[in-house]
Amino acid sequence: MLSLKTKRSILAVAAGVSAVALALTGCSSGGGTGTGASATSKQTISFLIDNSDANVKLAKGLIADYAKIAPKVTVKLETRPAGSDGDNLIKTRLSTGTMNDVFFYNSGSLFQALAPEKNLVDLTNQPFVANTDPGFKTVVTSNNKVYGAPAGTAMGGAILYNKKVYADLGLTVPKTWDDFIANSQKIKAAGKIPIIQTYKDTWTSQLFVLGDFANVTAAEPNWAKDYTANKAKYATDPIAAAGFNHLEQVHSLGLLNKDFGSATFDQGLKMLATGQGVQYPMLTFAVSTIIANYPDNAKDIGVFAIPGTDASKNILTTWEPAAVYIPKTTKHLAAAEGFVNFIASTKGCDSQTKSSGITGPYLVKGCDLPADVPTYVADMLPYFQAAGGTSPALEFVSPIKGPSLEQITVAVGSGITPAAKGAAQYDNDVKKQAQQLGISGW
Amino acid sequence: MRTLKKSWVGIVAILVSIPVFLVPFAFIILTAMKGKLDAADLGFTWPKKIELWDNIVGVVQARDGQALVAFINSTVLTVASVTLLVILASMVAFVLQRRPSRWNGLINFLVLSGLIIPPAVVPTITVLQGLQLFGTLPGLILIEVAFGMSFCVLLFRAFLATIPREVDEAAIIDGAGTLRLFFQVIFPLLRSVVITVIVVQSVVIFNDFTNPLYFLPGDANATVQLTLFNFQSEFNTSWNLLFTDILLITIPPLVMFLFFNRQIVAGLASGSVKG
Repeated sequence: MLSLKTKRSILAVAAGVSAVALALTGCSSGGGTGTGASATSKQTISFLIDNSDANVKLAKGLIADYAKIAPKVTVKLETRPAGSDGDNLIKTRLSTGTMNDVFFYNSGSLFQALAPEKNLVDLTNQPFVANTDPGFKTVVTSNNKVYGAPAGTAMGGAILYNKKVYADLGLTVPKTWDDFIANSQKIKAAGKIPIIQTYKDTWTSQLFVLGDFANVTAAEPNWAKDYTANKAKYATDPIAAAGFNHLEQVHSLGLLNKDFGSATFDQGLKMLATGQGVQYPMLTFAVSTIIANYPDNAKDIGVFAIPGTDASKNILTTWEPAAVYIPKTTKHLAAAEGFVNFIASTKGCDSQTKSSGITGPYLVKGCDLPADVPTYVADMLPYFQAAGGTSPALEFVSPIKGPSLEQITVAVGSGITPAAKGAAQYDNDVKKQAQQLGISGW
Repeated sequence: MRTLKKSWVGIVAILVSIPVFLVPFAFIILTAMKGKLDAADLGFTWPKKIELWDNIVGVVQARDGQALVAFINSTVLTVASVTLLVILASMVAFVLQRRPSRWNGLINFLVLSGLIIPPAVVPTITVLQGLQLFGTLPGLILIEVAFGMSFCVLLFRAFLATIPREVDEAAIIDGAGTLRLFFQVIFPLLRSVVITVIVVQSVVIFNDFTNPLYFLPGDANATVQLTLFNFQSEFNTSWNLLFTDILLITIPPLVMFLFFNRQIVAGLASGSVKG
């Protein structure tokens, strides 16, 4: 006779064993469900893009136009959050094999963080590669293999300014930093806000540093390489440190809006559009928001590159567009490749122009812009047309970008941290990142 | 005299709670009534023009009516998870409380680890894929049940300790079987804790953002919290639509709280008498 207690524990063990067995059978039945769809039948692929209004519009336009060219392939749109939630989502999906057939993501250092060789399909031999801008190819290449196709347009990190106020005050576009400060003083004397800063949205604080990088490259062409190899530093190189110094200077001269600490990006755009504020260091994509919200004022918004010390070298720091990638886990590789090739073709550019207007130059050969472009794009084009008129931002030529730059630039721009100390803090911030990426020399 | 003093304390407490609870809520309502540009200022001001209805239409129509699908998904998710949680957690707690055995130490340890150890995303997805449940609503329901289990078991256990064993014995002598003992005698006595669990877990599951984001991919599977991200992106946010969506999402938990307010406090307090 078993006692009641032993009976109970036998029951418990039996329950435990059956639970495990249940889990195991669940596992084994998960194997053979992969369905190989033949290339000729109708196929559905999914396309993942971040949820910003502009990009969703872009994706919808691309999908509608692709349906006309390839009626057998249906593309389904899925959106994801932007920012760090989005980064985590992308990495989770890649590592669990649940990534959509085609996805849209940043190029440059964020692309490198996806472990492209392990997760992405090599697109080097696709037809679009031959027509893609060589500068763009470098930011989606890992170990000599191309993994992404350009989607969207290049943008500049520059000073957006109100042309109407500039004309009223008789100012001209500054070629050197000293001219820029002189202009700002005149604007201040006229009772307007010379420089807009919006530190509530911390990312907006980085432009004086990141957008100055073309001037660094102009003076020291190998800086990015030395920086990646741990030979060049922001703190010890006076040319590279200029960005931090500028940030400190505009605050100490009192050239900022009074509420710079609490103003938001949206408020900054409003000040600029209404002419209450005159100059806003920003990425050029921001003007498309002004066009949407303040259509009457949009033609007053112009762009000039952040000036350096040498008036003869006036170079725009550019941000490469994002790219579309295909994960290795896709079951519809041929269909996905077809869609990617369409996005990076002249027909793809036309579709993008149709759905989101002209936001900057395309990086696909043969995608020319019409004569009638928005004012700010017209201001950007001379930089792109001149030989050596543009230079990519640091995050596209070096895999290293420290995560805390925006906090450091807010502190420097608010007069809390001196520029030299801020530069040193950023060098330190970058060190951890470089070690994580396993770059030699750190 | 004494009642006067008491009511003074109450009035002060209400005054203190106004800026904490009502001002943010008023801000949500005001912003939800504004137009896009007006809302972008994020000011605590009366709207220049009341556009609440336009905003509601905008929220509902965004992404081809995703908001409606999301409300259905969230409702199914919340109701199913909470029902399962209440039944399973109360049964576990009953057995743990009434039948001391050698396994109790281990089971208590596992229940506590469920509270302490944060869930990991990638292994969970691997398990779900093995079970063919990844990307399905039942899969997410099971996840929510698993994550809520520890907290509910502890609540039920604490309350069960206050129900005298004699109740069980009387029922058994009267001829009740195990199931009947639990569902017809004990479960009705748990009413106040059940309500607490329902309210607390409903709010948690209804408000959950990260689990649906990672475990239930696909636009057709969106839950209400994920629709918030339709209006908020890195560089450009439609504050008016965002706050309208927040307002719509806030209503169900708010209604629930207003109805069950008294029982929540009673349930929490009664569970805390005996540990």
